Amino acid sequence: MQRLFAFIEYNFHIILFVILQIICGFLIFSLNPYQQATFSKSALNATSSINNWSSSIYNYWDLKNQNTWLQDQISKQFRESYPQSLSYMNDTFNVKDTSKHSLFDAIPAQVVFNTSYKTNNRFIINKGRNHGIKKNMGVISSQGIAGIILSSNENFSVAMSLLNTKMKIIPYINGQEYYTEIEWDNTKLNSLTINGINKLEKINVGDVVSTGNSSLLFPKGIPIGSVSKISNTSKSQYFKLEVETATNFRDLEYVFVVINREYSSLNHLLSND
Amino acid sequence: MIRYATYWALVIGLQVLVLNHLDISSYIYPQVFIILLITLPLHLKKTYQFLIGFGLGLIMDLFVYTPGIHMSACLWLIAIRMIILGRQDLKEHANNKLTYSIKTAGFFPFFYTTLILIIVYHFYIFWLDGIGNINLEHMLITGLSSSLLAITLIGVLQALSLNKYE
Repeated sequence: MQRLFAFIEYNFHIILFVILQIICGFLIFSLNPYQQATFSKSALNATSSINNWSSSIYNYWDLKNQNTWLQDQISKQFRESYPQSLSYMNDTFNVKDTSKHSLFDAIPAQVVFNTSYKTNNRFIINKGRNHGIKKNMGVISSQGIAGIILSSNENFSVAMSLLNTKMKIIPYINGQEYYTEIEWDNTKLNSLTINGINKLEKINVGDVVSTGNSSLLFPKGIPIGSVSKISNTSKSQYFKLEVETATNFRDLEYVFVVINREYSSLNHLLSND
Repeated sequence: MIRYATYWALVIGLQVLVLNHLDISSYIYPQVFIILLITLPLHLKKTYQFLIGFGLGLIMDLFVYTPGIHMSACLWLIAIRMIILGRQDLKEHANNKLTYSIKTAGFFPFFYTTLILIIVYHFYIFWLDGIGNINLEHMLITGLSSSLLAITLIGVLQALSLNKYE
């Protein structure tokens, strides 16, 4: 303590100089209008940079909450709109049912495990039976079809990815449903194949392939992908189409499980037929 | 003591009543009053030197409505003066309680000390005055011309006081 006092006593003139200079600085930048404006401008530049920086960090950390909020909003829109409509890749698809309540519901979920390099790819989502998810429910991403639920436990569900050789969906192209199947032949990532479309049909590269009316799992008009290549062999009377998937399975993170509220009754009706 | 106070009053009067209102050119603002700080008694404690510098700067700021600028410049002038005088052999004069002048320090040490302090002082106040929008050319011309006039006037004041002593 004595050393400290001795140090202060010995350097008192330096401490006084610093204190007086601080007072001067305060007077210069608070009482001189021009210097005050210059100081304010410089301070604003410095603080705005720091604020931008901290805001970027905060926004980054808040992205997860924002994603959850957006998913909830989309689900709400999906549930409440009548007739159902949802903006999808600049198109709008409509789901019309005969009753006064919406036919489809959507539950937001996050992908916790995903493969895209196997022959039969699957992914796991963080929602299960506790959230109303069961086997044979459709899964869509914000870009298009993602898969179908295979099994569920209380909190998690396993879904068959569109990149699975067992996955078969009937394609709907240019306002027409084709009774053939779109499938993955395990040759290229994010690329599906359609065989059996007659050469007389008018199909062009870039045409959107979506879901039609023949599925109880997905609403009509959910994008599957777009035609990327048309193979035309002279021996066959059918096209072979390559379809680039709408969903990028490498980045699959947020999905919606589509629930058909009347699935049981409709399925029962169909099986009695 | 009365003579010393009169000298201070005269120099401050010369600065605030005459030199601050000189309208020779927009490039000339000589600050002659700093001779009072340069020629402070050598035995004076460092703390008192800073307080005197702060007070004199306050008086100047009150007259030219530039709060803080002359105060800050005077504090720096005292600090630099301490460093320069610390390298000069003035212990004997300090013991005799003499002021710093041509007579005590000699012509060349006094001249270069005064020249450095005047130049630093003038450039510092012109820099603070135009901070954020400094015209280097204008600052250089104003600083040098004002310093030149100030050193001339200080030379005259020193010569007058020297004659008086003799």
